[in-house]
Amino acid sequence: MQSFLKNKRVEPNKKNVLERLKNFSEIYERYDTSSAKTQSDRCVQCGIPYCHNGCPLDNYIPQWLKLVAGSDLKLAFKMSNESSPFPEIMGRVCPQDRLCEGSCTLNKDFGAITIGSIETFITEEGFKNGLSLEFPGITENKKVAIIGAGPAGLSAATFLLRRGIAVDVYEKEAFAGGLLVWGIPGFKLDKSSVFRRVEILKNAGMKLFTNSEIGRETSFDELRSKYDAVFLGIGAKRGNKAGIGGEELDGVYQAMDFLGSAQKREIELARIKDINVKDKKVVVIGGGDTAMDCVRTALREGAKSVLCAYRRGETGMPGSKKEYKNAIEEGAEFKFFAAPKEVVGEGSKVKAIKVVKMEVTQDGGRGKLVEVANSEENIEADIVVMALGFSMDLPAFVPSAGIKTDEWGQILVNDKYETSLDNVYAGGDCYRGANLVVNAALDGREAARAIADKLLG
Amino acid sequence: MDLLSSFKDNCGFGVLASIKNIPDHKIVEDSIKALERMMHRGAIAADGKSGDGSGLLFAMPKEFMGYAAKNAGYDLPEQFAVAMVFFTDEKQKDIFRLKCEANDLSVLFFRTVPVNTDALGKQALEALPSIEQVFVVSNSLMSAKRFDALLYLARKEIEHSIDDPDFYICSFSSKVVSYKGLVMPTHIREFFKDLTNKKFKASFALFHQRFSTNTLPKWRLAQPFRTLAHNGEINSVEANRYNAVAKSESLKSEVFTDEEIKRILPILQEGSSDSASLDNFFEFLTINGYDFFKAARALIPAPWQNAPHLDAGLRSFYEYSSTCFEAWDGPAAVTLTDGRYIGCVLDRNGLRPAKYIITKDAKIIIASEYGVLDIDESQIVERGRLQSGQMIGIDLKFGKVLKNDDINEYLKNSKPYAKWLNRHMIHMQEFLDSSNESIDYCCDKLVEKQLYFGYNYELIDMVVRPMMEEGKENTGSMGDDTPLAAFSKEFRPFGDYFKQKFAQVTNPPIDPIRERVVMSLNTGFGEIHNILSETEENAKRIKTFSPLLSRDKLDVLLSFGDEKNPRYEACYKNQTFYTVFQDNLEVELDTLAKEVAKSVKEDKIRIVVLDDRAVDLGKKFIPMAMAIGRLNSVLLEEGVRHLVSVVCITGEVFDSHTAAVLVAYGASAIYPHLLYATVYDICKSKELSPYRTRKSLKNAHHAIDLGFQKILSKMGIATIASYRNSGLFDCLGLSQNVVSKCFAVSHSPIGGLDFADIAAKIEAKHDSVYKKHDAKKIFPLEIGGFYKFSLGNEYHDYSPSTVYAMQKMVETGDKRDYEHYKALINNRNQKMIRDFFALSSDKQPIDISRVEPKEAIFKRFATAAMSLGSISPEAHEAMAEAMNRIGGMSNSGEGGESPERLKSSKNSRIKQVASGRFGVTPAYLRSATEIQIKLAQGAKPGEGGQLPGHKVTSLIAKLRFTVPGVTLISPPPHHDIYSIEDLAQLIFDLKQVNPKARISVKLVSTVGVGTIAAGVAKAYADKIIISGGDGGTGAAPLTSIKFAGNPWEIGLVEAHNALKVNHLREFVTLETDGGLKTGLDVVKATMMGAESYAFGTSSLAILGCKILRVCHLNRCTEGIATQEQELRDNFKGTADKVVQFFEFLAEDVREILASLGYTSLDEIVGRSDLLKVIDGEFAAKFDFSRILQRVDGFDKCQRASNPPFDDNEFEKEILEEIRPAIKNPDNKIIVEKEITNLNRSFGALLSGEIAEFYGDKGLAEGTVSLKLHGIAGQSLGAFLNNGISIYLDGYANDYVCKGMHGGKVVVTPKLSGEEFAAAGNTCLYGATGGELFIAGSVGERFGVRNSGALAVIEGSGDHACEYMTRGVVTILGKTGINFGAGMTGGIAFVYDKEKEFIDKLNGELVFAQRIDTDDSDEVRQYLKRILKKHYTETKSEKALNILNGFRQEVRYFWLVMPKDMKSPLNPEEGN
Repeated sequence: MQSFLKNKRVEPNKKNVLERLKNFSEIYERYDTSSAKTQSDRCVQCGIPYCHNGCPLDNYIPQWLKLVAGSDLKLAFKMSNESSPFPEIMGRVCPQDRLCEGSCTLNKDFGAITIGSIETFITEEGFKNGLSLEFPGITENKKVAIIGAGPAGLSAATFLLRRGIAVDVYEKEAFAGGLLVWGIPGFKLDKSSVFRRVEILKNAGMKLFTNSEIGRETSFDELRSKYDAVFLGIGAKRGNKAGIGGEELDGVYQAMDFLGSAQKREIELARIKDINVKDKKVVVIGGGDTAMDCVRTALREGAKSVLCAYRRGETGMPGSKKEYKNAIEEGAEFKFFAAPKEVVGEGSKVKAIKVVKMEVTQDGGRGKLVEVANSEENIEADIVVMALGFSMDLPAFVPSAGIKTDEWGQILVNDKYETSLDNVYAGGDCYRGANLVVNAALDGREAARAIADKLLG
Repeated sequence: MDLLSSFKDNCGFGVLASIKNIPDHKIVEDSIKALERMMHRGAIAADGKSGDGSGLLFAMPKEFMGYAAKNAGYDLPEQFAVAMVFFTDEKQKDIFRLKCEANDLSVLFFRTVPVNTDALGKQALEALPSIEQVFVVSNSLMSAKRFDALLYLARKEIEHSIDDPDFYICSFSSKVVSYKGLVMPTHIREFFKDLTNKKFKASFALFHQRFSTNTLPKWRLAQPFRTLAHNGEINSVEANRYNAVAKSESLKSEVFTDEEIKRILPILQEGSSDSASLDNFFEFLTINGYDFFKAARALIPAPWQNAPHLDAGLRSFYEYSSTCFEAWDGPAAVTLTDGRYIGCVLDRNGLRPAKYIITKDAKIIIASEYGVLDIDESQIVERGRLQSGQMIGIDLKFGKVLKNDDINEYLKNSKPYAKWLNRHMIHMQEFLDSSNESIDYCCDKLVEKQLYFGYNYELIDMVVRPMMEEGKENTGSMGDDTPLAAFSKEFRPFGDYFKQKFAQVTNPPIDPIRERVVMSLNTGFGEIHNILSETEENAKRIKTFSPLLSRDKLDVLLSFGDEKNPRYEACYKNQTFYTVFQDNLEVELDTLAKEVAKSVKEDKIRIVVLDDRAVDLGKKFIPMAMAIGRLNSVLLEEGVRHLVSVVCITGEVFDSHTAAVLVAYGASAIYPHLLYATVYDICKSKELSPYRTRKSLKNAHHAIDLGFQKILSKMGIATIASYRNSGLFDCLGLSQNVVSKCFAVSHSPIGGLDFADIAAKIEAKHDSVYKKHDAKKIFPLEIGGFYKFSLGNEYHDYSPSTVYAMQKMVETGDKRDYEHYKALINNRNQKMIRDFFALSSDKQPIDISRVEPKEAIFKRFATAAMSLGSISPEAHEAMAEAMNRIGGMSNSGEGGESPERLKSSKNSRIKQVASGRFGVTPAYLRSATEIQIKLAQGAKPGEGGQLPGHKVTSLIAKLRFTVPGVTLISPPPHHDIYSIEDLAQLIFDLKQVNPKARISVKLVSTVGVGTIAAGVAKAYADKIIISGGDGGTGAAPLTSIKFAGNPWEIGLVEAHNALKVNHLREFVTLETDGGLKTGLDVVKATMMGAESYAFGTSSLAILGCKILRVCHLNRCTEGIATQEQELRDNFKGTADKVVQFFEFLAEDVREILASLGYTSLDEIVGRSDLLKVIDGEFAAKFDFSRILQRVDGFDKCQRASNPPFDDNEFEKEILEEIRPAIKNPDNKIIVEKEITNLNRSFGALLSGEIAEFYGDKGLAEGTVSLKLHGIAGQSLGAFLNNGISIYLDGYANDYVCKGMHGGKVVVTPKLSGEEFAAAGNTCLYGATGGELFIAGSVGERFGVRNSGALAVIEGSGDHACEYMTRGVVTILGKTGINFGAGMTGGIAFVYDKEKEFIDKLNGELVFAQRIDTDDSDEVRQYLKRILKKHYTETKSEKALNILNGFRQEVRYFWLVMPKDMKSPLNPEEGN
């Protein structure tokens, strides 16, 4: 260990851009065993593991890094899967530079350990080598319903099954996976890894009911009466609007619809709205990870040009630096300090988007943004994608069952993830608002522990 | 015993005897004179009269006693005895008379011993008992032997029946009489008028000057005792005392009847010192007819277990006697007598000096120093010294001196020991079936057991794996920032409640690696037979080399005690007892112990097996330490302890610490089933071959063995037999009830958890493992967070949030950020002892403007010692600069400091002197405001350290006077401090070289540190630092970081109070360190007695340290604990940040003072009444009364300094004589003087003065020549600087040229050559340059840690050139054993005409080669030049002879060199 002076940080190979743009497959190759070892061996094994502290799931990062460096893949696999419901997925989708890698002692001066890539390596390599995850089977006489098979729901299912509790999962879409499937493009996360997890859970005893929207065939009350506990992992799916004129025009899409449409095509499912960007000028509004996803999706779908307009500067981007870099590599253009003012239409169709130049004043944390007078301009666009974050879009049963929410419509829970209704728990975006996958996974895990502790006494 | 008034003692000692046994008054006079001449080895109060006591034990002056009787009107018969008694009450005389009569003796009369009380100091006078002699004769006709036996019996009975600690029988014998008391040697003649009576003639006298660590006047404590005088300390005394009781259970005497023996017991008087206990035991043996020499060697054996060249017969004697006796281990020079024989014996490691001279008029003097009598050299027949483990004897009957070899010859031939051993002793190893490879260490339900016994991933990864892979314990760095086990919310192994004891000041720790030759873990099983008889029966033992058993050895052991096995022998019959409980821990524990005792008595069980493998759903484990501790005490109560050996089969042992706890409380052996199963499981999961699996298991075993040695050696104990039953731990957080039932010999300073609390923790853990429906974990173990931080696990003071907060606050300088940090620490809630106290003032708050300014507070702040080497120059300088800026002090650590810094703003005002003496030069010492002697370090008290070669850059090499890349070892002890009088000597040395500096002594908190602190104050230290056991380190074994040393609160308060009780507090200031972080910590420390404070880890954190705990790996990413340039470039610390931190702290302190209504810290020093224990159920479990105890007396230092009694007028005068040469170096000066052993540290004062003006460069060679005649005192030429040449026509004592930097010392006794000792022990220790020529031989440890001096001597004792890193040593004669141990640099030439040197070489790091080949021509010529120089300086005959025949003689030379300058030792592995 501690070989960081000798070995520099090397990320896994990325496919070349032309290759990447051809399809939706993952752009990162995986480490081979020897690079994974070398990269893990750089770890300082700090007396205070800042990476572990920076990880919402409190993953045992230094421990499994040492195990990888010491060629004990089996133990690394176990340890990594102990605290995380799907580490191979988190390794791909987590914004590591803001979490574990950002906290890594080496980050500033020597380059952080490539924690995410190693995390993915461990479980992928483990599966490849035939390692499997043991579940006890259904050993308890308790049953929990989970609504929503997104990251929170699947995480909760994982940890409930480990306690031997029966789990029924209700998913309104045709596939389990939620945001992992619809929200995250394939070039970041190969869907097969999500489906593999679902299969593992099914083998462990999870019953999955797809195309089952609660409130339609089964009422929420009925569900509650049938189960010892219910966990809500229903997400926050409504995209925020910019609140400007022209948003109703043809060719203006919400990010999630846009991404979902592309994903559905990828997994060969009929699109709800057929969004076609081929040879079109696409402008994406926003600067977060979702915006990058949209940009890169549009590039892969054959857009003529893709421009991303963001009201802050490059350093103000909230998402992962890595994704921004990838987007640039793939040919996206960026316009910073540009806030949308109006979608300009031609008839019912989009023609351009009017943006105004912004300026940051030195005030408060990130600085305050002000518009620069007389700086409006129009950017030509055939398609405008709004990637401005999400807000709550709760199904009707939530308020009607009397589940309390806050002023933004987020479900209120206590420190045990209990909602105001007995034996009803919630976690993930439906309680946090739009947030990271890793936090949804955390909620699912902790809620499962709370549920099991309560049910099993 | 009350800790505050307890004591340890050391001294100067000796014996003067007429070999032909001719009584003479001159012997009386001379022995008193010799005693006077060693007064500097004792303590002296300001009035020059009060000391710690002295005394003489004379051969019975029959003529004088006859005369005294006549005066009283009695005619003495030939057979009479005189008792010397301290009476405190007239009634005691009646008892005395009655008990004599009951034993067929009659008291003739009582004689009041005439004394002159003017000779006494005030305290001594107040405590003066009535001193009387009782003349006793036999009532009926009896043999001389029976008469002596009855005297002893009567004395024991009198002692048992008078319950007054001050009543004391100094001697009661027909052969010897004692004159001793609380009187200075210079006044003893005046006090005891008898001694000046010319009729008072004795044929020998043992004499002793005591240096006690306390000042409480106790007449009885003076030595010699009835049979001996002892210089040193018995480290294993607790074990020896316990064992003495156990051995008393089976006594059969040929001298006394069983009934009489009962009246004699107990053998040891209670409340005695270690030396007195040894005296009791030795006397008991000899009075019972045990052979004088055998008794001496059985109690203080030479090292035999690992001494490969020891005579086999002698080894058999020692091995045989080890079945009945364990060593009374520790530094010891002991003179003994039974009236017929006189002996003097040295401990196995030669840690005390004993020098002798035999004269032509058949007298012998043995003493701590040469020169205590003026003996013309022409009268000397022999001038020698005892070497490690040697004994010398005098047979007064036949008028013969018996040398070590004579005694050994006698011992080994007296009984057929070898035959007996061959016939009866079973060596386990012989019975191991080597073909049996199928031994299965597999454990049923391994994970469940691991969970229950507290195995977690961290433990396996950080403790178990390194042991199995490397065969040694893992090394860590930085300090311990977790709460005590009792304060923790986590389940902690029971071993965590025990903190290891360690040696500091009054006794030295041992280096178990470099001085391995003295260590042994040799373990035996079976009954202890009657120790008074030497029979074949006693040889019946099963033996192995370690108390840790492998599975096959366990099987062998059990096979001998299994009736169904053909090997069965009744004397090894065994039975297994399960150490589990169901409902009530305390009750079931008692039941278990009683059951065992019963089976020992009724079923004749001789091997008791305690086994915790019966845990299951219903049964919880009894902590094994509790089980063994309780059993040890019950077996002793039942009188059957000597019959059994106890073996613990346990899951709780996973490292050397947990193992040592069991042995210390009585286990003979341990089988750590879960450790082995865990290792086995890892091997299995890695699919290792059977060979590698076995190797891994062996490695783990070996690692624990090494750890055992380390733990023993920390306490200065060499053998496990002397450690067993010692209870050498402090119990932290266990209730008095638990401790008195199970661990009675140990202290429990803060009380704590009772059986029910411990049971509750075990039950909760049990439930969580066996009952709770927990998640099916993919990785089943807990992750653990004891050694490193981990979320949701054990609390650490340094967490991500505290580190972020600290670094942010000094970045922004924003008070709010400090407040945030402060809140994190102050609200941590009952994690450290101080958290249990709230401030409770007796005053109203005042306005902060009235509080002393922060500048006044800064003066009390220091950064803790960190050497340049352990940390980077950048970090070292930033701290120095910051502290100088605010008027605080930075501490250089020990590793030198570049000359440019010494007079700049980057000078560290505290210069440290530690055991390695790296870079300790005259200029270095002279640049200090304070010189700190580090006796122990919080992270690893009792251990040395090592700077790995890869950290020794060219800068560091230059400062430490060595070569880049050479590994530098700091030994565990200071080789010039084995004892309190040695410390006094070093303090004296340092006060000479820098008279302006304060001398501080750094100790580590442990129960008993108060006693040590009092001794240190009496050794004239100006300041005492009590460090917490949680302090940091650059590298140390994990068990040391975690389990040695107590929190500072306990030690600070004890030291403060002990100093007060002894009226010494006013002479010294007190400082503390160990995890201090906020103003509240500072205020609480002040109230507990501290006047200043040091900050180690926190100052590093301020400089950017992120507590990575990789200091030992040279990979500190922040450029602090590293010498790697690329990392150093990354250093972001600044002096400003450090200044900012101390500003925050000082402001915080001011705010607290204002809120308490006090204007300065001075007003609250020692005000523990301002602290109040917080309320709450948890806090109420502990007993903090000792922490809050407040005794009368000064609360703080009242003097500017603590000047020594000896003002060194001698050298001060010489300094004035040479002043012209200092003023104008062209004026060469020659001074000629007589010198005596009272003139100590000669040359240090002059050297310091020269360094003041000329630095280490000093003056040109030969500027000052000092021609001395006589016998020099200790430390001749200490810290000698360039420009001074000392020519001693005579000889010298210990420590010649310690710390020498330049100049030259030439010692030329008239009787010269190898066979005449010309200087004492530990010469040239830590020298950095200069030249030394001695035409004679020297004592032990010559040239230890030499890093630059050139020396020629003509013979040496053991351990020469140990730890040497540079320089050239030439020895023209015999050396002792263990030559060149730990020698990583420099070279040595050894002239070996007898061809026996190679056996004495420790070949671990060095090799010897011949120099009579072509390619060594250059070396040969170099040697020749050295020899010529030696001849020129000393006119040595030996050198001349060699030079004359150089062509032939050169082939007898060896050149000794390090095998690899970059040492094969790998420090990352903790060597």
